[in-house]
Amino acid sequence: MAKVEIQHLTKIFGKRTKAALQLVHEQVPKTDILKKTGATVGVYDVNLSIEAGEIFVIMGLSGSGKSTLIRLLNRLIEPTSGSVLIDDQDVSKLNKEDLLEVRRKKMSMVFQSFGLFPQRTILENTEYGLEIQGVKPEIRRKKAEKALENANLLAFKDQYPSQLSGGMQQRVGLARALANDPEILLMDEAFSALDPLIRRDMQDELLDLQTKFQKTIIFISHDLNEALRIGDRIAIMKDGQIQQVGTGEEILTHPANDYVRAFIEDVDRSKVLTAENIMIPPIYTNIEVDGPNVALKKMRTEEVSGLVAVDRGRNFRGFVTSEDALRARKEGLPLSEVATQMPTVPKDMLVADIMPLIYDAPTPLAVVEQGRLLGVIIRGRVLEALAESAETEEK
Amino acid sequence: MGELVGKLPVAQWVEDIVDWLTTNLSGMFNFIQTVGNKLMDGMTAGLTAIPAWMFIIGLTVLALIFSSKKLGFVFFTFIGLLFIWNQNLWADLMSTLTLVLVSSIISIVIGVPLGIWMSKKEYVARVVQPILDFMQTMPGFVYLIPAVAFFGIGVVPGVFASVIFALPPTVRMTNLGIRQVPNDLVEAADSFGSTPKQKLFKLELPLATSTILAGINQTIMLALSMVVIASMIGAPGLGRGVLSAVQNADVGKGFVNGLALVVLAIIIDRFTQKLNVSPEDKVQNGSKPWRKWAALGIFFVMIGTGFANSFVASGAKAKTLDLVYVQWDSEVASSNVLAVAMRQHGYKVNLTPLDNSIMWQSVANGQADASVSAWLPTTHSAQYNKYKDQIDLLGPNLKGATTGLVVPKYMKVNSIADLTTEANKNITGIEPGAGEMKAATKALTAYGLKSQGWQLTPASSGAMTVALGKAIKAHQDIIVTGWQPHWMFQKYDLKYLKDPKHVFGEAETINTFTRKDLKQDKPKVYKVLKNFKWTKADMEKVMLDVSNGKSVESAAKDWISKHPKQVDAWFK
Repeated sequence: MAKVEIQHLTKIFGKRTKAALQLVHEQVPKTDILKKTGATVGVYDVNLSIEAGEIFVIMGLSGSGKSTLIRLLNRLIEPTSGSVLIDDQDVSKLNKEDLLEVRRKKMSMVFQSFGLFPQRTILENTEYGLEIQGVKPEIRRKKAEKALENANLLAFKDQYPSQLSGGMQQRVGLARALANDPEILLMDEAFSALDPLIRRDMQDELLDLQTKFQKTIIFISHDLNEALRIGDRIAIMKDGQIQQVGTGEEILTHPANDYVRAFIEDVDRSKVLTAENIMIPPIYTNIEVDGPNVALKKMRTEEVSGLVAVDRGRNFRGFVTSEDALRARKEGLPLSEVATQMPTVPKDMLVADIMPLIYDAPTPLAVVEQGRLLGVIIRGRVLEALAESAETEEK
Repeated sequence: MGELVGKLPVAQWVEDIVDWLTTNLSGMFNFIQTVGNKLMDGMTAGLTAIPAWMFIIGLTVLALIFSSKKLGFVFFTFIGLLFIWNQNLWADLMSTLTLVLVSSIISIVIGVPLGIWMSKKEYVARVVQPILDFMQTMPGFVYLIPAVAFFGIGVVPGVFASVIFALPPTVRMTNLGIRQVPNDLVEAADSFGSTPKQKLFKLELPLATSTILAGINQTIMLALSMVVIASMIGAPGLGRGVLSAVQNADVGKGFVNGLALVVLAIIIDRFTQKLNVSPEDKVQNGSKPWRKWAALGIFFVMIGTGFANSFVASGAKAKTLDLVYVQWDSEVASSNVLAVAMRQHGYKVNLTPLDNSIMWQSVANGQADASVSAWLPTTHSAQYNKYKDQIDLLGPNLKGATTGLVVPKYMKVNSIADLTTEANKNITGIEPGAGEMKAATKALTAYGLKSQGWQLTPASSGAMTVALGKAIKAHQDIIVTGWQPHWMFQKYDLKYLKDPKHVFGEAETINTFTRKDLKQDKPKVYKVLKNFKWTKADMEKVMLDVSNGKSVESAAKDWISKHPKQVDAWFK
């Protein structure tokens, strides 16, 4: 028995919902329905079953109805028709008291803009869910502090949200949701407002949490990479309707329709990707200034065994390996004496043409424009790019 | 439009509604009036019982506690209050404070829940918004009329009018503040299963607090501005000083009273702004519990002293009289002389200056005991005819009063009938409600001047005398509505224009009238009023003293001390 069972769930915004429903049956597009009836289709005839303990990601572009769908689950938005069964209990038919009970005990929500109360401290925010259930102050404080400890935020418990960074605030949001010890966690684009690095960290943390707590997590995202990293199963939505449900692998290898194919960027990458698309920032040494010791230090800190050599004007001058640098140190030579050549490519060269070059080259390739260094291409990136395009070719 | 329907009797409808309310709900109105008066008199007495020096020091210390960083405000509080005390306006300040506090508290008690209701229910908002617009744009004066009809004169109708006028900002800002709570926070509160009440008290009100406080601050300021207007219907306080200064064109007095109001407004404004602290500020300052305790301590010491003092002060209730008058120089003189004399004989007299029509109405309704300011038979004939069944006319207290159109002696014209184009065809009048103005309007029609484009410009008795003085200085034409006894006849060379059609009547008498059952209630007071009599010369003496800069009380005392026999005769 699935944890969450969604059957024929529909939400139409506006007044003339009956007429709009009729038009949706006839497969009339969203914009035309809006023109004819003034009603907006938020979600239409969604059927999903979500198992206990899985991370279920719902994806789609903005306006696809994914945020509406998640709010229908805890009835922040009242459904027009259909039902949401949680442990065989139909949430959409509950009276006020029972609905409050479900919200308090079974589900908690995390928001894109964090949704922290600015006038409450971090601790008061975290214990909010327990506070409104009437839990005794000392018990709820203990639980909230435990949740903050798990999020490494206990030191900040007496601060206010405005004094914390975005990542910290979202960890508080997550701690607040978990302090309730819910069975289901609803996450509405929870990491979209964070910068990419923190976003990755948060995704990792979420995965760690999941191994520890085994909650059912329904995660909304518009980012394919995020979905692939954390999702056990993914549903893709368009105009309020589900296009495809499956594991990341299934969706990448067998897209159900053109929309999904477009969504996962179904293009032959080797035909369009250029050197510029796959190059990475170079790790270089200025051989007119740096000596061999500096070069060796740089290699240690950057964890590489060679550096691209440039002059003061960032003009490309060659390549310095760790052996070269050691030799220069021993014999007291300047770096310019020991630099060797490395293959160069122009920035608009296609990946398909780079393939044979990189196969033979002992060093990475330098991407050069009019003698100046732009970046370098390493073997891994090329393989990655080609692998992605290969996957989509074998349809 | 007019030809199609004719003029709609809207004014009549409104009168009928107010009449119906007054007759059918009189029990409730009277109850509110009695309780309200008791409460507010008690509050004012309590505030006044706190010694001024203690009040000033207490508020200064509070200012110091609340804004230790800004010494400017502390100094301002101290100096400003000292100034008010020094100008003998302390009792007025306390009355005003009571009025403002009670109006504001009632506005908050009604306004905040209404604002919450508006923010929660769309249809309530749709109904209430236009009503609020109506309340805020309708001139404050308009509320005074039904206020008197419902609650009589004094502080209760003042509060009533202030509340109507000052309520909207609190309602609006509460509604706005709650609607402005970010949607994702509301969703968060809902998603954790908050009941509507929990959501309101844990999220919406705390977040809307600063907006609501801004609204309350506005409300307090509006209530303060209503204080002056409400003094026309007998609300005590600084407003009376401002109003009488306007009516007597007394620049200095008006400025001093106005300044006292400004001081009070700024102090209240700054204190209410201090209450508005954002949570981040709390973190930086650290909440200091001792502040709260110190503030509470000061508060209780002040209240305690007030209680103790009022306990000591409340002696036996003396024989009381509620005397009402209009702020014309003549009536100021007579009412004050009578009041001072009666006080010297152990009576307690409450003097309330009012607009003329309201003065008549208040005696007729039994809300005031008596007035010695009825000019009969002509000047106040309209009021007398309206209320004659509801009052007890005791007869004249001064004979030989005259009214008419008055010009400087240097003007050639001698009769109203000879007027052509003098003074730009303009007659400078006094308060529009005065009986004399009705007579002047009649005269314009009777002598066919209206059709020639003559105008009667209403102002106030004070403004009229200022205009007269200015014109005489510049040797210009001016025609004013004048009366005797009046000090202007002592000061300038003036003459009455002849009135062949007797529109202004012959020489008039100034009469005393009381409410219907004063004779049974307060026979002693009634007897004094019956005996009160003096002459035109007496009155003009007092008036001249006042116009030369003496205070009314001391001018009255001087006259009383010089005429002991005459005064004693009143109390036989």
